[in-house]
Amino acid sequence: MLKIEHLSKAFDTLKAVDDISFDVAEGEILGFLGPNGAGKTTTISMIAGLLKPDSGKIFVDTLDLDGNLKKIKRLMGVVPQEMAFYEELTAKENLVFWGKLQGVRTKDLDERVHYYLEKTGLIGRENEALKKYSGGMKRRINLIIGLIHQPKLLLLDEPTIGIDVQTKLNIYEIIHEASAKGTTVLYTTHNLQEAEELCHRIAIMDMGKILALGTFEELIQIVGEKDIVIITGKFSIDKARSIISAFEQAALLSIEEGKIVLSLEASKNISTILEAFFKKEITIDDVSIKQPNLESVFLKLTGKELRE
Amino acid sequence: MRNLIQLVRKDFKRKWKNPVVILGFLFIPIVFTVIFGFVFGAQGEEALPRIKILAADKDKSLISGFVLGALTQGGLNELIELEEVSEKEGTKLLDRGKASALLIVPENFGKNIWNGEKTELLLIKNPAEQFLPQIAEEILDTLTLGLSSLRHIFADELSTIHKLTDLQEFPDEAISALSIKFKDRIDGVSKYVFPPVISLKQVTLSEEKKEVSDLSIQAYILPAIAVMFLLFICNTVFEDILREKETGTLRRIRISPVNMTEYIWSKIVTSALIGILCTAALIILGLVFFSIHWGDPVAVALIVLCLNILIAGFISFLYAFVRTERQAGALLTTVFLLMSMLGGSMVPVENFPPMIAKFSKLTLNYWGITSFKKLMRGESLAAIFPILIFMVVAGIVFSIIGSYFLNKNLKKGTVQ
Repeated sequence: MLKIEHLSKAFDTLKAVDDISFDVAEGEILGFLGPNGAGKTTTISMIAGLLKPDSGKIFVDTLDLDGNLKKIKRLMGVVPQEMAFYEELTAKENLVFWGKLQGVRTKDLDERVHYYLEKTGLIGRENEALKKYSGGMKRRINLIIGLIHQPKLLLLDEPTIGIDVQTKLNIYEIIHEASAKGTTVLYTTHNLQEAEELCHRIAIMDMGKILALGTFEELIQIVGEKDIVIITGKFSIDKARSIISAFEQAALLSIEEGKIVLSLEASKNISTILEAFFKKEITIDDVSIKQPNLESVFLKLTGKELRE
Repeated sequence: MRNLIQLVRKDFKRKWKNPVVILGFLFIPIVFTVIFGFVFGAQGEEALPRIKILAADKDKSLISGFVLGALTQGGLNELIELEEVSEKEGTKLLDRGKASALLIVPENFGKNIWNGEKTELLLIKNPAEQFLPQIAEEILDTLTLGLSSLRHIFADELSTIHKLTDLQEFPDEAISALSIKFKDRIDGVSKYVFPPVISLKQVTLSEEKKEVSDLSIQAYILPAIAVMFLLFICNTVFEDILREKETGTLRRIRISPVNMTEYIWSKIVTSALIGILCTAALIILGLVFFSIHWGDPVAVALIVLCLNILIAGFISFLYAFVRTERQAGALLTTVFLLMSMLGGSMVPVENFPPMIAKFSKLTLNYWGITSFKKLMRGESLAAIFPILIFMVVAGIVFSIIGSYFLNKNLKKGTVQ
């Protein structure tokens, strides 16, 4: 459904997207996971036709975006990070307006508006101005606007920022339903748990590149059975590095002032490493061990933690 | 076209649900008109009130009657309202502010004039009024000067007349001798008086200038202020472009099948339509509250249409040069105020020196105000037709240029 080939985009000297390629099948939910500035929104902007790529190709439903933008816009729905609607208008007026812009017939539109409002628990409040809605309710309307014309490709740019668990679950349910009906979803997030729960496949992106792409299980294989150990304390970076390099079963993932992240084949080996640290008079404040998960994959790939 | 209609409908709904700003801009021209109406003290079609002068004639002579009669002769009758009163009554009325001045003609005023003796008229002015008593004083100054001059020139003849009136006898020989004396005196004076060293040349004012006074103060002010505030009203629609850019709705519209040209034209159309509705409202309010006769309704409707096409097009053109709300606020407010100043919304163009008046024609305000006033003064649709054509053509040209550059700017500015 969506095929990206060697896509690149730079802003002056900054390479926001650097030669990425991937494809997404019909009905699939692909999570785009990465920290702020990873290039996720730039990628979405190029797919939505807002930005022209410096190089590379984008195909939606086998149509090349270059030259078929108008046709592709009808196949595509976008849910931006910001609440992009008119707050003075009611929920119903907004949905009807955006639906009509997307070419939905009035008869179908009434049915769809009712369906989605019911689905999101907003029925009965459809005639209230959106400025009176809570943040969670607004997020739901923001999502419905992207779905009202039942697009073949749905681009979601961090649609669950700052909302309660109930609304989040409601949004997941709607996305799953759209996917089940055949809508392809590209979902950008920097929430690991969200990517794990919602997406069929996950692409880990940083510094404009896709570092890994696969199912959750496939990504876990990248770190294997190794645990992730995070040590905080007071030490000289060179001294700590030389201690760790002496242990074959440990691999240093990242080291910075006061913090060491390493992967370890068996966490029981941590005592030997800590002993070596104590011998060299390094002060340890805290040690935490994590089982293999997306975070450890992300750490392994980027050398940094991903925080919400 | 379908998208354009949807976008216009949406903007109308938004303005309808949040009308405070537009209503505020609509309210100001009405308030200004009311205030100016009070300041200049004119109501309806009257341009200036008459000066009320109270006259206490304590002499009751032929001469005092002549002086008071002179104050209400010819053109002065339109300016002065004279009421004869007793001195006591006149003082009381003046204290109550019921007149601009009290003129007291003293006893023996006529006798002293006949005898060539010094005499004086007493004028008591109302201190609560600024201009009208001053005008009354100037008129009486002129009158007394004229009277004194006549007394000096025709001193002998007046003495003869005085004697005849005292005797109550008017023999034919005396009258004919008096006539000959008068003729000789006039002939003698004529060589000094005619031709006059200074002459007053009578010039017919240009139609526009002459007819300014034909309009009531409200008819003069409302169109002028209305055109100025129409600029601000129409601008509220364009301000939305920058707001939509910030809130993300513009980005969403760009992702939809709507193209940016449709979006920009929807703003131009909405702006013109809102302008038309607001102008219509001001015209109706002017008619109802100030009895302004706007002229031929068809021509008025055409002016409203063409003027708002021009304003919407011009503002879209200005928006091609701004990127942020702050820039828009600074540029547009400056341009609007400058145009209003030069175009006659603040000061009548007729009062400008010719050098500055030339620049007036470069403003939207000038064309809008001129067309309204021409119509109010009874000119036909044909007379204002060239102005209408100019406004429509300029409006369309501005819109095309504006939409082209605005389109380019928006494409640059809505992506991350």
